[in-house]
Amino acid sequence: MNDDVIVCALRELRQNWRRTLAVISGYAVTVALVIVLAAVFLYSRVVQDIMIGGTGTYFVTWLPACGDISSLTEEELAGLAKGIIPAKCQEQCENCTGCNKKPYDILNEGFVVNTNTTRLLTTELAEKVAALDSLKNVSPCLMFRFRDPTNNLIFTVAGVNPQDYAVERNCVAVSDLVEGSFLDAAQPGKIVVESGFAINNGLKPGMKFSVAEEEFEIAGLVKTGVRPLNPDIMMLFADAERVINKRIHNPLEKEANIILAVSHDATHHRKAMEDVKKLLKTDSLLTTGCYWPASEALGLSGRMVWGFMLIVMLGSVMFAAKIQWSAVVERYRNLAILRAIGWSNRVIVWQLLCESLFQSVVGSLVGVLIGAGLIITLPVNSLLGVDAAMTGVLNPALAAVIFVFAVLAGLLASLFPVLRMHARLPLDDLRRF
Amino acid sequence: MEPLLRVEKLSKSYHTRGHEVKVFTDVSFAVNAGELLLITGRSGVGKSTLLGLLSGLDRASGGSIFFQEKEVTGLSLAELAELRASSIGMIFQNFNLIPGWNARENVEAVLMHRGISATERQKRAVEILRELGLADRLENLPAELSVGQQQRVAIARTLVNDPVLILADEPTGDVDPETAAEIVELLLPRVKSGRAAMIVASHGLFDSSLATRIVCLKDGSLSEAAQ
Repeated sequence: MNDDVIVCALRELRQNWRRTLAVISGYAVTVALVIVLAAVFLYSRVVQDIMIGGTGTYFVTWLPACGDISSLTEEELAGLAKGIIPAKCQEQCENCTGCNKKPYDILNEGFVVNTNTTRLLTTELAEKVAALDSLKNVSPCLMFRFRDPTNNLIFTVAGVNPQDYAVERNCVAVSDLVEGSFLDAAQPGKIVVESGFAINNGLKPGMKFSVAEEEFEIAGLVKTGVRPLNPDIMMLFADAERVINKRIHNPLEKEANIILAVSHDATHHRKAMEDVKKLLKTDSLLTTGCYWPASEALGLSGRMVWGFMLIVMLGSVMFAAKIQWSAVVERYRNLAILRAIGWSNRVIVWQLLCESLFQSVVGSLVGVLIGAGLIITLPVNSLLGVDAAMTGVLNPALAAVIFVFAVLAGLLASLFPVLRMHARLPLDDLRRF
Repeated sequence: MEPLLRVEKLSKSYHTRGHEVKVFTDVSFAVNAGELLLITGRSGVGKSTLLGLLSGLDRASGGSIFFQEKEVTGLSLAELAELRASSIGMIFQNFNLIPGWNARENVEAVLMHRGISATERQKRAVEILRELGLADRLENLPAELSVGQQQRVAIARTLVNDPVLILADEPTGDVDPETAAEIVELLLPRVKSGRAAMIVASHGLFDSSLATRIVCLKDGSLSEAAQ
């Protein structure tokens, strides 16, 4: 390619400025449209993540207890209290450490989730769960049903690490507070009480409440609403461990009976639950904040979004191809004249590619700027009636891909009519066009 | 002396809707530098087609063309383009100027992509356009020129690279007698000085007295005609 090719290409673009402007505008509009569409898709994913994240990307998991303790003989129960696991239980005990930690008051007390009795899990297992890529946050939890022997009051206590996000989503959050103050990891010996339980029992912040003969100060009252875990009383994990130890045969040793989990995001929700079930073996149970395939109910599918993007991109390629095709075909006669006076096909091909490259680069660049400008200035969120910031939707990498794609498409599209011309004799084009 | 151009048993046929249409067969002739060969014949006999073959714009169905003793019928499109750029000038009946380019740019186009600087190109184009009386029309587009002026631009484009073979297809076909005489006046000196040979295809509008030889294309054959 010589300098004359560039000189001729620029002259051609300048002299036919209307056509040049039309081609550049075509690229700009197409690229801007694709970028805005991409941003809307990305934004829809952000919105869906927020929506589903608020209702269903969290869950709790536990293993059900290994059968009816009453089926054990007196001798086996006595052995259990000493840590001797009955042979018939051993096959179910892979993840369980609890057979020797049964409560004294086995008919009224125990490790429960709602009305189900559960096995104990090591906190190491919770750490393994936390290491799963599909999960954002995991927190071990102790949930125990107590009976106050002085008044026969039955209530459930959850021992949690209140600073964990998984606790906030699955059990209790500071935003649930209706009166008093919330749990503080630095201040043991305090509890928060579910407001319904507090009303039934005349409890108020500042009062004392006895759990396993230990007095706790009521820091505040909470309304936890619909959550997978709904204890009557919430306290720090270490406090719960201490009071529970008073009611079971052998003390807990880095154990919990529930794992609270939050999926990485809405699209990973199903996988997160499958990963956890796989790790905890198939008999583990899950409780979620909403009907669990919510993400699918909303039609959220990464493949679908990118598939649609691909269709839009293919459409833009065809549009670019049409523009370039027309730009070359309408010049067939002029090109034939140039070939007749001695210009080689190679020179003409280079010139057309230079023109195409210039138009597609400038047009696509303008398109990227227009697209970005539209995304920044248009109040898409308020137009859609969504209360979510338009963050993370202007993706530079995606814009770069769209830009490169449009430029390459333009070049390829211009190459096709040029190659067709290449194969014909100049006289054919002079006669035909 | 070897002829500048030698044509041997040249034939051309087309295939249209499954049928072969023969334009001409076994056409042979030779042209020397300094000669003006006039090819006459009725419209549609294949005069323009013959010029197209001689210039390498079209492919022959058979026979050979030797230019400066080198066979050119088998050359590639790129080699033929190079031959046109360096040695052959073509004047078309309808001028074939690029509509969006001005007179100077149309003439300069022949000199482009040949390693000639822009200044030198411009100088040569302006010189020849002045020589042809278009000094005040350098920046005009073809549509802004009269038919005679357009033809002169086309001639300037042909002569600017000093070709040794000029092929002219009805060069005076669309102009008045006065302009036709001017055009001939512009082209002939190059031939008469022996710097070039010229082949003119015309169905009778070209002044045959100017020709060195006249041949007639009729019924697919070429024959010498009486002057």
